[in-house]
Amino acid sequence: MTEAALRLAGAAKTYPTGTVALAPVNFEVGRGSFVSLVGPSGCGKSTLLRLMAGLLAPSHGTVSRGDDISETSFVFQDATLMPWADVRTNVALPLTLKGKSAETVPETLKRVGLERFAQSYPRELSGGMQMRASIARAIVTSPQLLLMDEPFAALDEFTRFRLNDDLLALWQQNHWTIVFVTHSIREAVFLSQRVIVMSPRPGRVVADLAIDLPDRRDEALRGSHAFADQCAKISELLRDVTTEHAA
Amino acid sequence: MKRAAAPLAFGFLLLGGWEFAVRLGDIPAYILPGPVAIAAALWTNFADLGSSLAVTLEVTLAALALAAVSGALIAILLAQSPLAERIFFPYAVFLQVTPIVTIAPFVIIWVENVFVVLLILAWMAAIFPIISNTLLGLKSVDANLKDLFRLYGATRAQTVRRLMIPSALPYFLGGLRIAGGLALIGTVVAEMVAGTSGTRSGLASRLVEASYRLELALALACFFLLSAAGLVLYLALDALSRRLLRHWHESARTPA
Repeated sequence: MTEAALRLAGAAKTYPTGTVALAPVNFEVGRGSFVSLVGPSGCGKSTLLRLMAGLLAPSHGTVSRGDDISETSFVFQDATLMPWADVRTNVALPLTLKGKSAETVPETLKRVGLERFAQSYPRELSGGMQMRASIARAIVTSPQLLLMDEPFAALDEFTRFRLNDDLLALWQQNHWTIVFVTHSIREAVFLSQRVIVMSPRPGRVVADLAIDLPDRRDEALRGSHAFADQCAKISELLRDVTTEHAA
Repeated sequence: MKRAAAPLAFGFLLLGGWEFAVRLGDIPAYILPGPVAIAAALWTNFADLGSSLAVTLEVTLAALALAAVSGALIAILLAQSPLAERIFFPYAVFLQVTPIVTIAPFVIIWVENVFVVLLILAWMAAIFPIISNTLLGLKSVDANLKDLFRLYGATRAQTVRRLMIPSALPYFLGGLRIAGGLALIGTVVAEMVAGTSGTRSGLASRLVEASYRLELALALACFFLLSAAGLVLYLALDALSRRLLRHWHESARTPA
């Protein structure tokens, strides 16, 4: 692994109410890598992502980023667009807040396939197109670190696969560091170089697996044995931690 | 136009029944004039009543504008800190629950200019729904969008201008629609209590004056003009709200 984009050292989060959302975790995310976090709901995945973004402060340990926070982008499960602004204005937001020129917006819209919808309002778009706009907003600054919190969970499978393919293509062109939270094992395996498996609350890391699949990932891969094997392995790990937890 | 046909027909039926009853029962005009007599009173005094209506509307619109600006500013200030809201909001409620009529005599003593008296009273009647609605809107900002603004290093001014104000706009406009009616009510009540201001008397003081003289047809003409003014004001504010929200808010969606 090359230089780390993110380093978590004993980072943990206990909320003021006493709820332990995240037990101390230690891991690094290499610069330019695509890492997924999987686990059952309530395992602190989102908390972990917010710690990485700097939106939450850890109650113990440290989270250090290789880059300035302004180089970080966040994609939520909902598209989280400003409904009163058109797509162009929404996508330009990270630039205009900093007083930068929005000249990269048309090109970014083209990259996510929304060039014809610059002047549409979010409610005029389908869920998948809204998510594309949300991704465009996240990548318009060419971020060093892209944090995604179950971004495709609310979409139908067909749309999800297309967006998975497009996201992979974008990542392969640009080599941002991506941390991707999902509860879909198949999605995690399909996208990532590395999958971190988490246990139910209080969340902790139970496995950290390198995904040994070819770089070229397409529809054929989704049906391959190697892909199924990787998924089965993670599925088993998850079953173990959830039953252990229930016992 | 077709949709208005049924309610309009009902209205004409009502007026017809009224006229018929008045003529049949031979009711004197100082007890209850019929619609024809009222329309005649309106017609003969049209220029006169029109200028009185202008006086009333001038106060109403000025008070509404003042309430909109000051109410929105107060809400934005209150939204900046929970402490500020805790300190000042009870006084806004106090303003709301106090009947305007009971404050009027004091304002009349303290303020000489009748226009200003009316303006203050109408403003007091109108401001509360704007403050409380706008404040609710400012506090209903999408938490994820707020995080996003933080992540992108937005300043407080940017967050207020580009996130909080647009989020609160539908709520503010809802408050404005209520405030429009209240501003008119406030003006009318204030006119009735404060009386006329010499040559420039508003429609409500004309109404009171006419009723004292038992010119009920004229008084009722004033009444209908005031109702019509209230209706037009409401429709105008509703149209403004639809226009401003047409691209994005559910409330402005045209029914399919």
